[in-house]
Amino acid sequence: MKAFRELLWTQARVFLRDKIALFFTLFFPVVFILIFGFVWGGAEGPGMVTLGVFIVGEPDPVLDEVLSSQAGVSVQTYNDVARLEEDIARRKVGLGLVWDGRTLLFLQDPTRVQEGNALAQAARGIAAEIDLRRQGLTPVVAVERVNVGRALGGGWFSMVVPGIMAFSALFSGLLAVSGRITQMKERGLLDRLLVTPMSSTALLVSIATVRLVVGFISTSITLGLAAVLFRVEFDVNWGLYTVFVLAATLGSMGLGTVIALLVRRPGSASTVASIAAQIMLFLSGVYFPVEIMPAFLRALSAAFPLTYMVEGMRYVTGVADLSPTRFALITAGLLVVGFGLFPVLSRYVVSVGRR
Amino acid sequence: MKAVFRLARLSFVAALREKETLFWFVLFPLLLLSILTLVFGQLGQEGKMNFRVALADLDRGPSGRGQFAAVVEEVFLSLSVPPGPGKEPLFTVRQPAPGEDERQFILEQTEAVRLGRVAVLIVIPEGFSAAALAALSGSGPPALLGVYGSRGDAASGMAATIVDQVAARLNRELLTVAGLYRSEEATAVRTEWVGDTGAPVAYVDFLLPGMVLMGFFVAGLFSVSGTILFSRDMKILRRYWVTPLRVLQYFGGFSLGYLAMCVLQFALLVLVGRFGFGASVTFAQPLAVVYLVLGAVTFLALGFLVASLAKTAQSGMAIANLVNMPVMFLSGLFFPVASLPLFLRVIVLVSPLNYVAEGLRFSLGTGQLTVPLTLTLLVPLGWIGLSVLVVVRRLRWDVAR
Repeated sequence: MKAFRELLWTQARVFLRDKIALFFTLFFPVVFILIFGFVWGGAEGPGMVTLGVFIVGEPDPVLDEVLSSQAGVSVQTYNDVARLEEDIARRKVGLGLVWDGRTLLFLQDPTRVQEGNALAQAARGIAAEIDLRRQGLTPVVAVERVNVGRALGGGWFSMVVPGIMAFSALFSGLLAVSGRITQMKERGLLDRLLVTPMSSTALLVSIATVRLVVGFISTSITLGLAAVLFRVEFDVNWGLYTVFVLAATLGSMGLGTVIALLVRRPGSASTVASIAAQIMLFLSGVYFPVEIMPAFLRALSAAFPLTYMVEGMRYVTGVADLSPTRFALITAGLLVVGFGLFPVLSRYVVSVGRR
Repeated sequence: MKAVFRLARLSFVAALREKETLFWFVLFPLLLLSILTLVFGQLGQEGKMNFRVALADLDRGPSGRGQFAAVVEEVFLSLSVPPGPGKEPLFTVRQPAPGEDERQFILEQTEAVRLGRVAVLIVIPEGFSAAALAALSGSGPPALLGVYGSRGDAASGMAATIVDQVAARLNRELLTVAGLYRSEEATAVRTEWVGDTGAPVAYVDFLLPGMVLMGFFVAGLFSVSGTILFSRDMKILRRYWVTPLRVLQYFGGFSLGYLAMCVLQFALLVLVGRFGFGASVTFAQPLAVVYLVLGAVTFLALGFLVASLAKTAQSGMAIANLVNMPVMFLSGLFFPVASLPLFLRVIVLVSPLNYVAEGLRFSLGTGQLTVPLTLTLLVPLGWIGLSVLVVVRRLRWDVAR
């Protein structure tokens, strides 16, 4: 037991000395959260439209009424159209509206490529309502939105945070095998370690334990930062959260084992793992919903483990619902991959020689 | 000079042989361009998105289906037909099967929305047609269409917005048919584009210059500093110095190799952008070429700056990683950045990538200038000057003895 404790302590020190591993597992999610949180306004998310309004002549009660009833639109009034245009060009305002009593003139920055569609939609909605009201008509049909999801006040950003946490667990697990272990193998360290009385299982367990602790710390810091700095509301089920972070990290170590077995050169394993992780990051619904991707990318997304890890992480942090059966299946799947491939890892990857 | 070109060739070929370099500096920008264009380039376009929607019509009286309910149902079902060959329908609509209990169906689909399996559930409630008729005759409030969604789910929000738009269009059509809406009195609506561009910029045209600069930046930051530092740590550089090769010749050859890599990256990205995704942006303009060259040289200088500041290859890579992400994301390469807090604004204000990107996009007509044009040249030049100063004073070309 003492030997194992020493081994554990050594692995922890090795991890802390490895600046790249430290950066990607601990700082990467934090930097990400800070950037995305500040760029897209934290919990309010990118769905808010800032509308700059310039009225030529007298105020219009119909316009005021329509604008004040728009959900997701914050109105800013201007006394000068040049100033409004300047603020649109400087991206302080998303959409401009000039009203002279007869024509609704919307002003838009043509280079706001990602938000362009949402801004145009907002403009169409406002125009349609004003048009009816000015003819003294009321809508025949109105949409009543009912939220059946979680009652938390989260938006887009609250969905991104658990996504980043899932990615962090994936990366930590993948690199534990495809980075750390293959690196030890390439440098001949494994050869030396394995001729000592230490078993390969003990070595593996020590590496896995360090990664599990790091994964837990990293995801918890990310969660805390998002909650404190950006007021994102979470309803964390700490029991399930602990189990899921454990399962996700172990499952990712299993995937790392597959990569280490498939890639002939041990040194290339970390590269392949990084590449696979980056591709998954973009296609697993972390940043944008899978539904807006083309069909073939949606199919690819369904094949990626990160997609399911993101689902699970959103569930345990309380930002999205998931059926308990599906959650159990995802967690069990990850654990099976992790524990199932442990003997393979122990037998074929943590072995003497270059292969 | 011959030695310089030989070294340039060696540096270029070595980079191409190194699979990792090849992926991160050549293939990754191509991959990112493809993914982002496939996702965001088609956002809001007909036939490119698909949402799973459930629809329940409860408006059935003793005399059969309500007329207005039937119209609403028809409209939503029309969205489940692909708009053309090879295109996807906007909605995949699920309705109760004949004989299926509608209340049970609603319960099941509400649960499916909650669990994210269905984007929204649209419910046409009982008495909908009567309410719509009353609203049409001015004797009642609008008939309510229930849209059950999940607030935190982005796909659900998008689908609900589409339902809003459908309802707005439906209103106008119903009121027109009833002779109440007078199209000749419709409020005129116009959209004008602010700035010099004059027309909306296609996402791929916005993204392509950003991806080109990302390639240059990542290659400069990682490849330049990494090659120098690893060669130094592994004592490869030391072997050069026992030959007649001078440091300046090595520097020249290495830099030319990096620039050749940039040319390759640029050519591949433009080819894929143009022929794969229909980019129409033209780089063959004097000012654009100035920014491309300025960008490549600035990031080469930054690579040397990192190599000067790091003691070992590992710490060099850590510095590069630390700089890479904030600078890349905050410089507006992938999306326009606005309204940042002061401490992040500082990164944007000092980032040479931000200025080169603004200048390049402005020269190509795909972006607006938010800073004076002279600054887009002066700031990168300032970084080159600073890097040269630091490199001359600090860069060690051999391991410490």
